[in-house]
Amino acid sequence: MSIKYAILGILAEGDLHGYELKSNFDERVGEFWSLNYGQIYSTLDRLEKEELVTHDRQAQDKRPDRKIFSITPQGRDELTKWLSTPVTKVRALRDEFFVKLVFMDKTTPGPLLELIEKQKVLYLKHMNRLTHRKVALKKEADSLDALTTELLMDAGLFHAEADIEWLALCELKIKAAIDPKE
Amino acid sequence: MIELKNASKKYRQGGREVYALRDVSLMIKKGEFLSIMGPSGSGKSTLLNLMGGLDQPTSGEVFIDKIPLHGITDNELTLIRRRRVGYIFQFFNLLPLLTAAENVGLPLLLEGTPFSQVRPKAESLLQQVGLGERTEHRPEQLSGGEMQRVAIARALITNPAVLLADEPTGNLDSHTSEDIFLLLKSLNEEGQTIVMVTHDPKAAAYGTRIITLKDGALSQDLSIGEDAS
Repeated sequence: MSIKYAILGILAEGDLHGYELKSNFDERVGEFWSLNYGQIYSTLDRLEKEELVTHDRQAQDKRPDRKIFSITPQGRDELTKWLSTPVTKVRALRDEFFVKLVFMDKTTPGPLLELIEKQKVLYLKHMNRLTHRKVALKKEADSLDALTTELLMDAGLFHAEADIEWLALCELKIKAAIDPKE
Repeated sequence: MIELKNASKKYRQGGREVYALRDVSLMIKKGEFLSIMGPSGSGKSTLLNLMGGLDQPTSGEVFIDKIPLHGITDNELTLIRRRRVGYIFQFFNLLPLLTAAENVGLPLLLEGTPFSQVRPKAESLLQQVGLGERTEHRPEQLSGGEMQRVAIARALITNPAVLLADEPTGNLDSHTSEDIFLLLKSLNEEGQTIVMVTHDPKAAAYGTRIITLKDGALSQDLSIGEDAS
């Protein structure tokens, strides 16, 4: 699972407290992946058991010690190996819309066609907002960090576009199935 | 700025009446970047051509800056088209024998203005679209993206009220297209009203407002910024 590697990636850049790790994670990949503290700490636990991560204790006034996490040499090896391996699992078709499609009545397709129309509008609005944020980002920042964000925004736009085109095709095929003359 | 009132366009096809555009009413405000989307045959280009006075509705009315495009002489219409509307196309439509600066100046050269008077403005527009170093190049010496930039500069030389774009990146790769959209976006942010026809949602998403046509009629009208959900 990628949470593990995202955490290794962040720790490879420097040692961090748990909450710093969480805010770094949110800033870098939060757009695609939301995590709560529980998930962060349970993943850190697992990484420690696998000896990919270790921690030090830092004393604090009047409060319990804080843990500072760091990546181990084995952790770095594991991260390097993961970074250089292409992703073999293609994006899973797990969209909630697909489940709706399965259960919607195709014999009276009016409501289904309406749903498709609404879904298309939603994706278009999403693309519109994302594009405007991208334009704003390109104006203010020109660092390599901004490049990563831009590329990920592009991915979001291409996926949404594919969804819109697929929905338009659904519409045509559903209509053709009801009235083969159309 | 541009207003359509119940505009329809119909053709006769094999004894049958076919609507390219059906009863479209639309108001485009100054400073808008309007994207017109829809599948091919939905009437997008017809709508754009009505807005630019390149075509007349069979019924209904079109106004640019409150000036009606009906009931006027051909000469008056030509003048409105030349002076108030800038057009860019999918295939750039540059003249191959002219330099970039001459192509940009063409709308004014056609009115008889000498090139010496046109050159400074043509060069400054080329500068503005990022082609300050290419003023003496001919189209064949330019890339697709550069040719479209020249076409944009040419469309702007008359300070048109509206820039109309018909699939402006239909012939360009994704990266080059993005640069063209960023250029259009920055022109829009400086106040240029833009209307763009596209079938590509990635292109349409640059608009401040997106309308969708279906079988010649208006089917969606999304104004952006109102709905931030």
